[in-house]
Amino acid sequence: MVRRTIATVRYQILQTKEDVELLLQIFEALVFPGVLFTIGVGFLFDWLDRKTAARMQGRIGPKIAGPSGILQPFADFLKLLFKEEIIPSHADRTIFLFAPALFLLAPLLSMLFIPILALSPIASFDYDILAILFLLAYAAFVVSVLSYSSASSFTTIATGRLVLQYVSYEIPLVLAIITAVLYTRSLSVEGIVAAQSKLWNIFVMPFAFAVYIIALMAELEKPPFDIPSAKTEIVAGWLTEFSGRALAFLKLTKEVSYVFGSALAVSLFLGGPLGPEFSGVPIWILYFSYFMVKLLAVGFLIFVLKTSMARIKIGQATELFWKILTPVSLGQIILILVLIQGGILVVS
Amino acid sequence: MFRTMLEKPNTRTYPYQKVDLPLRFRGKLDIDPDKCTGCQVCSMVCPAGVITMVDLGTRKVGDRELPVKRPLFDLASCIFCGECVDNCAFKALEMTKQFELATPHKEDLIMKKATVR
Amino acid sequence: MSETTKKVESAGLMKYSTENLVPFGPIHPALKEPEYFKLVLEGEKIVEVIPRIGYVHRGLEKAAEMRPWVQNMYMFERTCGICSFVHSLCYGQAVEELTIYEVPRRAKYIRLIVAELERIHSHLLWVGLMGHWAGFETLFMWVWRDREIVLDIVEAISGNRIHKSMNAFCGVRRDMPENMEEQIVEKMKYLADRTRYYREIIDTEETMLERTEKIGKVSADTAEKLCAVGPMARYVGIQHDVRLNDPYAAYDEVPFSIVTRNEGDVHGLLRLRLDELIVSTELVTYAVKHLPEGQIRVKIPPIIPAGEHSSHCEAPRGEIFYYVKSTGGRTPDRVKSRQPTMANLPTALEMLKGLTIADVPIVLTAIDPCFGCMDRMSFLDTETNRHWTWSGEQLRQYGIKYYKQRRT
Repeated sequence: MVRRTIATVRYQILQTKEDVELLLQIFEALVFPGVLFTIGVGFLFDWLDRKTAARMQGRIGPKIAGPSGILQPFADFLKLLFKEEIIPSHADRTIFLFAPALFLLAPLLSMLFIPILALSPIASFDYDILAILFLLAYAAFVVSVLSYSSASSFTTIATGRLVLQYVSYEIPLVLAIITAVLYTRSLSVEGIVAAQSKLWNIFVMPFAFAVYIIALMAELEKPPFDIPSAKTEIVAGWLTEFSGRALAFLKLTKEVSYVFGSALAVSLFLGGPLGPEFSGVPIWILYFSYFMVKLLAVGFLIFVLKTSMARIKIGQATELFWKILTPVSLGQIILILVLIQGGILVVS
Repeated sequence: MFRTMLEKPNTRTYPYQKVDLPLRFRGKLDIDPDKCTGCQVCSMVCPAGVITMVDLGTRKVGDRELPVKRPLFDLASCIFCGECVDNCAFKALEMTKQFELATPHKEDLIMKKATVR
Repeated sequence: MSETTKKVESAGLMKYSTENLVPFGPIHPALKEPEYFKLVLEGEKIVEVIPRIGYVHRGLEKAAEMRPWVQNMYMFERTCGICSFVHSLCYGQAVEELTIYEVPRRAKYIRLIVAELERIHSHLLWVGLMGHWAGFETLFMWVWRDREIVLDIVEAISGNRIHKSMNAFCGVRRDMPENMEEQIVEKMKYLADRTRYYREIIDTEETMLERTEKIGKVSADTAEKLCAVGPMARYVGIQHDVRLNDPYAAYDEVPFSIVTRNEGDVHGLLRLRLDELIVSTELVTYAVKHLPEGQIRVKIPPIIPAGEHSSHCEAPRGEIFYYVKSTGGRTPDRVKSRQPTMANLPTALEMLKGLTIADVPIVLTAIDPCFGCMDRMSFLDTETNRHWTWSGEQLRQYGIKYYKQRRT
């Protein structure tokens, strides 16, 4: 009788085409190319990061977990999940335990707005750039709260540095994104990607791309901007007091934001999944491959930059952002607008 | 920097890859019991107190009974300086290339070769 | 050192509220060896640094009094890993002067070669560490890879990479291996080229420049007043090098030039040590090519005649000073060793004033600290927070009093 019930249920669920669509959408959102896929690519990026950095430094990098060490980030994640959680006595317990999950939400949700398999992403509406900007600001806010919640003498210094850095990088980052928006006259990622079918944005606004990459490195706290989690100065910066599951989620969030940041760069400046089409090959495979290639290219660019520079001080970082990058991105916007007005640049 | 990426990495994947050691490498001590005469010089010069002389009986020399001693090595304390090797007049001691001496039992590191008759 | 202690005693730590005191150490990723530095901050600027030493004190000077002369050679070699040969060399030289035997010429040359190889390895280690604390991991990995070359040469000569155990009284224990001459010359040339490349990196890499330029400025007078030695004196322009001023072990026969700089900041220290490295490679090449024939060791009896003597050497960190007193027995009566980090520490604390926390690891590493060598006992009463040191005589009186109390 149980078997008959299951058969009836299955028959009833797959009754209509809309139901199949719904199932497919849920699958897309949760597994591919949604949450699980993003997490997987996050691990892939981490592995690539460590391997290329190691090879550039004359070492080997991860080797033992999985073929060529590819499962190493996953193994690290699992290990952290099993470790004991030690919470300092004067830290805020609720924030300590719950906020890492909240932090993870931001880049994961944002990934749903990036078109990977087709022109239209999993979740899209006409103003999703605003949603992405909101999620970026929300992530910065959660990080500041997290860092503040573990109140020890090292982390207080780290919180100060962190807030300063986050405040500094956000404006150039937003300005760079706005440049793409202004040029393509569209506030949705889908629109921006569609507008790049003739010419990628990077050729139109190279400075915006450069500013975006530098600001992205500051958001991800990669050298030369790994000041808030400066390993050799204030122990581990704001990550010091976290352990166990909280640390696992924080590290995962870092990797996912890396993926999301690069994915956004690909969508806004490098034309997303667009590329030359070949007949006979299903379109989503083509789109997916182009997207992955571009994503890896951006990631590789950041690895190279990260390995070749030392860490700068917080005072110098803020100087860099406020005195140099903000004017440059503003200048780029003005340049674009002038060129559009003058008719030199044609908006597609 | 890109050049380094294409070069061979500098890491030797020990323990999967064996390391080649130079000639003079100072590893674990080894004694040739036939050459040892029990002169005690090694135990007197050892800076770490590794060598103790063990009484193994007596022997007759002329009309005197002289004690026969042989060295007992507690290699857990050895600092691998090589003083005993340098000072042995009979060349009974040498340093091998063996350096993987970690063991969970301290008794494994006591070298009794010379004291066994 | 006593100046700082007096200041602490008189001012009292109660003057500073606890919010402004950041404890740096004793366990900290930036310090190789534990020492406790209390940083008094105003915002992010450091106003004063109050050190507390004594965390790795091993009582080597006392232990030396209970061991025969030769065993002390090995013990002092293990004072420090990075400057181990120089320690045993200095001690050996101090004791040799008490005997009537001369060190053979070949031994002096071999001592020079090994000492310079040690200087090369120590400076390479230091440059790598500077990269590491500045966040520049790539420099760290590359420099340490080149350091492996030096360590391989040392292993081929002496059998061990760090504790070389090459020194004996009046000579060296092992000869140079045959057929190593061309190899050593070739590798020294390679190292010199790599060092010039690293010098280019630190001169042009923007982020490194931002971290090290204009940091840690000390005037030449302050450095001299605070008795800075070694590279810490040479980086403000004081021409102080034991190898030049008071040559030992064949330095008078081998031509070399010392390096001084005038910038007086951490970047100058980087350049100074890298230049010294190049000079050392040239020294080794010259010595290997002109190695005289002869014996390498003169065996001396285990009893050293009575007398007292001192000797100093140029360690990679500065001037090492050993004082040896013998009463004609099998063990020394008193051995005192003064390490360069002890002399450089007040200068380091001067350098830190006015900098931010981010600079503390850089500056503390810039003096090339070796706290394991330099440690002394100091006393801290945690209730009254009083901090003082005792002389040897006071310590002895306290010991007598303590045991008298225990017996009654």
